[in-house]
Amino acid sequence: MSAQAERRTAPPAKKGAEPRGPRAPVGERLAAWRDQHFFSFFSSLGRLAARPWATLLTVLVLGFAIALPLLFWVVFDNARELSGGLREAREITLFLKPALDARHADAFAAELRRRDDVAAVLLRTPEQGLAEFRDLSGFGEALDALQSNPLPSVLVVTPRDSGASEDPPLVAAMQADTRVDLVQYDAAWRRKLGGILHFGERVVAVVAVLLALATLLVIGNTVRMDIQARSAEISVMQMIGASNGFVRRPFLYAGLWYGLLGAVFALLVVVVVEVALAEPVARLVESYANRFALHGLDPGVAAAVAAASALLGWCGAWIATARHLAAGRPA
Amino acid sequence: MIRFDNVSKRYLTGLDALAEVSFEIEAGEMAFVTGHSGAGKSTLLKLVSLAERPTRGYVTVNQRELARVRRRGIPQHRRGIGMVFQDHRLLTDRSVFDNVALPLLIAGTSRTETAKRVRAALDKVGLLAREKASPLALSTGEQQRVGIARAIVAKPPLIIADEPTGNLDPQLSLEIMNLFAEFGAVGTTVLIASHDLLLLKRMHKRVLVLDHGRLVDDYRPVRAA
Repeated sequence: MSAQAERRTAPPAKKGAEPRGPRAPVGERLAAWRDQHFFSFFSSLGRLAARPWATLLTVLVLGFAIALPLLFWVVFDNARELSGGLREAREITLFLKPALDARHADAFAAELRRRDDVAAVLLRTPEQGLAEFRDLSGFGEALDALQSNPLPSVLVVTPRDSGASEDPPLVAAMQADTRVDLVQYDAAWRRKLGGILHFGERVVAVVAVLLALATLLVIGNTVRMDIQARSAEISVMQMIGASNGFVRRPFLYAGLWYGLLGAVFALLVVVVVEVALAEPVARLVESYANRFALHGLDPGVAAAVAAASALLGWCGAWIATARHLAAGRPA
Repeated sequence: MIRFDNVSKRYLTGLDALAEVSFEIEAGEMAFVTGHSGAGKSTLLKLVSLAERPTRGYVTVNQRELARVRRRGIPQHRRGIGMVFQDHRLLTDRSVFDNVALPLLIAGTSRTETAKRVRAALDKVGLLAREKASPLALSTGEQQRVGIARAIVAKPPLIIADEPTGNLDPQLSLEIMNLFAEFGAVGTTVLIASHDLLLLKRMHKRVLVLDHGRLVDDYRPVRAA
């Protein structure tokens, strides 16, 4: 028999009615698609459970990577709240010359109240000041020994908020006033505190971004090794007609699980740290007679962290599988 | 079912695996491809399953010109082909049943339909009783039969097999080949690469002979019976 079959110059170009593999109705295909997802969802978890130590190690690495920015965040969130009261305190405290008597102090206060840039003025007489000092300092008996009250009258002036960041002109005016002995205004210090907090927030954001990237890479690399270990299986699946989506799916779910478990572990770390620090912080705060209480992550933030981490895992796995799939196909 | 029009394949290494090969296999026909090692048998099958693309010429499978099948269409194309490998390539981490069910899972067949078809396929290869076993617990011949069940479970119009009896003794080889012949008898096109000439002689089927990438003989048995 001849080796040459009949030849044709052009290939038959049949378009449209292309015979394809067996296809089921839409409803059934949808159910099957759902089945495939269910299958991948749980079988990927089963695979992780089949190698508990390797999985645990990955989850621990991820957990610490996620916990670090979370802890920073908790610290700064608390610091911000603690400083919130301070930053809003804009009062200017005027210590008047001791020579000024109560009547003149009263007149001075009235004069200030008439100014446009003053919202309120509180006058504290030397007597009030002494009583307050006696209460707070514990030097009551020593004070009783004093012949006369050494304290000056004090005016606490609340300037009208101009929105400007620099010192109000009122401060300079008061420093120049002859009736005033000392002007206490902590705006500069407060601005520094604000700057530090702003810097801290930025550090938290940068660290969070870097560690999110690390999470992506750790999961991507773990999934990549997983893919290598199962490359024979993948090639069989591809040979018998598995689409990229089908091959990719279990790995995507594995990435999702890694991200989720890592986040859960990270939240656990944060809770443990909070519990460990709660007692000393409470004692510290108490010594400052402050109503401040340490607060941790609220459930909304925790859920967002878990979701973001799972999403990162999914993306990391996607990158890893995309690289593998791109390498293994003819044009 | 399969037509090669003047097909040549040169690998990137410069090796000419196939040179100007033309032939046609009718639907429902059973044919063998034979030749020495490196004659191009595997390459020929790879062109059919789109594991490789030809350098020149046209390959048509099931009336579809394969040059028209884009990357995205390759999985769909392969679902129309039942593939059997020399080393059977079963997945050892799952049961015989799950291995055979894999093409149906991929195709998105419903669970009840899958169970029915998997059992039917296993019944055909005589391994219905072993559905829960691991492939590792089976003999080589049984493993290859599971591989065949996997190839036929989705009822593809075409089955291709690359040295399916390469690891089997003559008796088992003949059993496996007769199994293939049964599918041929019910209208499935079967194309098998094999270098076992004695076995091919006993089968009395069409044989394409390759030599250094060229089709040197196309033997058709005289229909006596």
